[in-house]
Amino acid sequence: MSRAALSWSIAGLLAAVLLPWYGLEDGLGSGAWIAGLWSSEDAASGLAQSIFFGRWWLAPTLAASLGCLVVSLLPLAPARRGTGLLIAGGGGVVLFAAQAFAVGLRGWNAGWLLSLLGEMEQRQVGIGAGATIVLIALLSLVSIGLALRGAFGGDAFVAGAMTTVTASILLFTAWPILHILAQAFQDQDGALRPLLIVDRLAESKIWSLRCLAGSGGCGVVWNTLFLALCCGVGSTVLGLSFALIATRTSFGFKKILRVLTVLPIITPPFVIGLALILLFGRSGLVNQLLDWSFGVQPTRWIYGFPGVLLAQLFAFTPVAFLVLIGVVEGVSPTLEEASQTLRANRWDTFVTISLPLMRPGLANAFLVGFIESIADFGNPIVLGGNFGVLSTEIYFAVVGAQLDYGRAAALALLLLVLALGAFFLQRRIVGTRSYATISGKGDSGLATPLPDAARRVAHWIALPWAGFTLLLYGFILMGGLVKVWGRDYTPTLDHYAKAFSIEFSEGGVIWSGAAWNSFWTTVELAAIAAPITAALGLLAAWLMVRQRFAGRGALEFATMLSFAVPGTVIGVAYVFAFNVPPLEITGTALIIVLCFVFRNMTVGLRAGVAAMSQIDRSLDEASATLRGRAPQTLFYVVMPLLRPAIVGALVYGFVRAVTTVSAVVFLVTAEYDLATTYIILRVINGDYGLAIAYSCALIVLMLAVILLIQFLVGDRRLGRRALPVQGVRA
Amino acid sequence: MSVQFTNIVKRYGTTTAVCGISFKVDSGTLVTLLGPSGCGKTTTLRMIAGLELPSEGRIEIAGRDVTHLSATQRDVSMVFQSYALFPHMSVLENVAYGLRRSGIAKEEATRQALEGLAQVGLEGYGQRQPSELSGGQQQRVAVARALVLKPSVLLFDEPLSNLDARLRRQMREEIRELQQRLRLTVVYVTHDQQEAMAVSDRIIVMNAGRIEQEGSPRDLYERPATPFLARFMGESNPAKGQVRRLDAARVCVRLGSTEIEVADSSAREGAATVAVRPEAIKVETAPGSANALPGTIAKASYLGTHMEYSIDTAAGTLFATCPRVERPLTTGTQVALVLAPRGVIVVRD
Repeated sequence: MSRAALSWSIAGLLAAVLLPWYGLEDGLGSGAWIAGLWSSEDAASGLAQSIFFGRWWLAPTLAASLGCLVVSLLPLAPARRGTGLLIAGGGGVVLFAAQAFAVGLRGWNAGWLLSLLGEMEQRQVGIGAGATIVLIALLSLVSIGLALRGAFGGDAFVAGAMTTVTASILLFTAWPILHILAQAFQDQDGALRPLLIVDRLAESKIWSLRCLAGSGGCGVVWNTLFLALCCGVGSTVLGLSFALIATRTSFGFKKILRVLTVLPIITPPFVIGLALILLFGRSGLVNQLLDWSFGVQPTRWIYGFPGVLLAQLFAFTPVAFLVLIGVVEGVSPTLEEASQTLRANRWDTFVTISLPLMRPGLANAFLVGFIESIADFGNPIVLGGNFGVLSTEIYFAVVGAQLDYGRAAALALLLLVLALGAFFLQRRIVGTRSYATISGKGDSGLATPLPDAARRVAHWIALPWAGFTLLLYGFILMGGLVKVWGRDYTPTLDHYAKAFSIEFSEGGVIWSGAAWNSFWTTVELAAIAAPITAALGLLAAWLMVRQRFAGRGALEFATMLSFAVPGTVIGVAYVFAFNVPPLEITGTALIIVLCFVFRNMTVGLRAGVAAMSQIDRSLDEASATLRGRAPQTLFYVVMPLLRPAIVGALVYGFVRAVTTVSAVVFLVTAEYDLATTYIILRVINGDYGLAIAYSCALIVLMLAVILLIQFLVGDRRLGRRALPVQGVRA
Repeated sequence: MSVQFTNIVKRYGTTTAVCGISFKVDSGTLVTLLGPSGCGKTTTLRMIAGLELPSEGRIEIAGRDVTHLSATQRDVSMVFQSYALFPHMSVLENVAYGLRRSGIAKEEATRQALEGLAQVGLEGYGQRQPSELSGGQQQRVAVARALVLKPSVLLFDEPLSNLDARLRRQMREEIRELQQRLRLTVVYVTHDQQEAMAVSDRIIVMNAGRIEQEGSPRDLYERPATPFLARFMGESNPAKGQVRRLDAARVCVRLGSTEIEVADSSAREGAATVAVRPEAIKVETAPGSANALPGTIAKASYLGTHMEYSIDTAAGTLFATCPRVERPLTTGTQVALVLAPRGVIVVRD
């Protein structure tokens, strides 16, 4: 471990001397910066900046890095070396953060610093390669110091993982969100006025209960809450039905069912809304049919609560399914067999054993459904009508005539409180019980088939839903193949040709279609983001389930933050936080990838936590006593047992990156345009045909990617005997 | 490859699981940590493994201070109560796992793993999944997996508790035979006193986070230091008696109307608790010899190899075993009990 400390110390110092400290306009690729390391103010290294260019505030950080090297070289006992690294490295991180936040584009950032230390000549821009590597090195040295002092079982890998997860969540989730929430307590000029939030929230539009009395609409808080409860319960019930049918019955079309449940998740949200309108809207097919055959007056029932709930159920049931399928598979058959030998019939077993064992998974699925619903923006904006929820209120506060960031921030705060409530409710229900059902003892039981009553209920819930899904997708498919939906139903391939035409010339292939640019950008950024999302989410899950440390709950909550806040708020928060030094990445591809990763890692985390609490801890311990170091244990023992969760996290990471709209709408640029923002623009221009054709292409792409991921990661081999085909019906 | 514990304390929050224990396990011996559940024996074992780190104190393995080292960095391996076989790997992959993680090439690891499987009598089972094996076979895989690493110390955490009685006896004999053959240093945790006596060179009896007594199985059985130990190490009858010192090495113990001379150098004079081993009570028909303790048979049961009697006497109800099964005594029979001195133990109060 002291070798690692030495390597990191040297790496940090080399970066401080040999790499430009600040970010460069045209990046490192050109190599032009090498000449300017000591002479150009832009490209100078950290050392040169502090000596030649008057940026003396960098010197303490560099001194701390040097201190780490000294501590690594001295002949010290492990615990003492650890203390030394902790002091030097930790001090370095603090000094780094202090100077980075204190000095900005216009000198001192805060008024009190200005009045205390006087006007400052120098300024600084966003950090670059040198500063980043120095910071990473310092954080690594802190982790090694912690491990040397015996924290995290003396394991440097665990300490490093812990530092990585904590630091990245603090930087890319907690900071931007707190930054924008602070605006709830500031007036338009940025002055702190805590009481302003009371004014902002004390509105009848938010809290009114008039709908109970039958006159007018309720406040947006009650709307949001009621919708989220219905969506959480509904998606959990639907997801459980699908999961049970897929794993515990001999239903013949499981494969199709599995694909069907995944379809809505790979569909950009507004497409489902659009299809629902084509079907149930005022001039939709159903209404026209009713009008024509029975003379029923067309109504607008789809606009409002029913429509939004329907669309959300379509959108979020697959997430619940993905969370639950691993859990249902993980329930130990032996426990069910034990129950049956204890005079419980299949129904009793299901109700008293299987369901309670799935409780962490059910609570997780509900939590995901609930929070997805309150954070959803696309469906309420398309289908909400007069039914306002918090996320649309925030949107209108930002983009409307109001342009009131303070009000938006106050409403976002309210949204967070709701998410917080759901989070603690879930904690209470699941509690600290252990549900270890994949134990280290070989399980030779047979999975119990579902009792008939439960099977019938599951079929009755899931199959009509599946049929309805098929119908909707039929409409989406047709929408891209006719000239103008509603008026001219002539079949055509024009929309596809316009978007995806390819020309062959002497110079090679020319991607002449209008959609190719945004298509390739989307694929590239999503493909970069997905593995990082899954890795970070599962790593965080592993730390939370397997390691005991202070602040575990706080960390878990911080990851929920970015998930619970609507995409619009995240987008604005990222622009605000990363538009100015120290992290100046607005307008780059990096900020889009970061937004994808930290917005979507929560699902990987939840699925990982649910799956991991079913794996007996003694398996990890056995690996540790068999010379398996923590990363090896993770790779050879935990990951193979987590395959369903890994597939879920990868798929979700990719798919959400491709389909998300609200979070990236503020982040895209002409250079980095994304598929969804491109499609939205088409929709706004009334070009439904092209929009739907492009959406269909995205759906096909994502299906292919899901199958690829499933193929690459493979199934979990548990060595359990398979469920025999259920021959006789009772 | 000895193990040395010095003043080890383990706290969880406000509760103390292990309060300041010290002991030494000599190289090539099998030492058992014995005690009732919740006595801290498993925590102690896990601290040797490095799965828990002590709150205070110092642990040495083979002369090296390992107090702050993690499980991976210590040269120990462990057989878990639940076996902890990796369900997604074949038997061979399970056994080869530790070898591969130690950086041994695949062919060599496979060869050694097969050798390990042969050592526990599981040739030809390599390609099976753990779930396709019986409990005893899974146990052997777990032992082979730990054994192939040739660790300085091998740890067993209640390894036999999931097996049936016959298999338990067989497996404990196999473990003992393996340990003797390979001269392994083993620390073994169990709550079963018979199992502990059968396999151990030394036994450390723990109670409520402390070491109650340590010694050879014979020491502990014949000279238990406390009433807890007398009860815990085999059957014994607690009786109230009077102690009178005869000389430095002997005392005279009076139980009811009988007096027995017992080798003892530490007991104080006066009233004392006396533990009487059931096999040390010789049951004769009344009136018997002069120094016998008279009593009445209260219960009698036939166990094939021997008889068990509950006998009411002036010193309390005594439980006795008697190898004479051909002429059993019936309930209500007047008897005279002769106590063998080696089965009469004065314990501290």
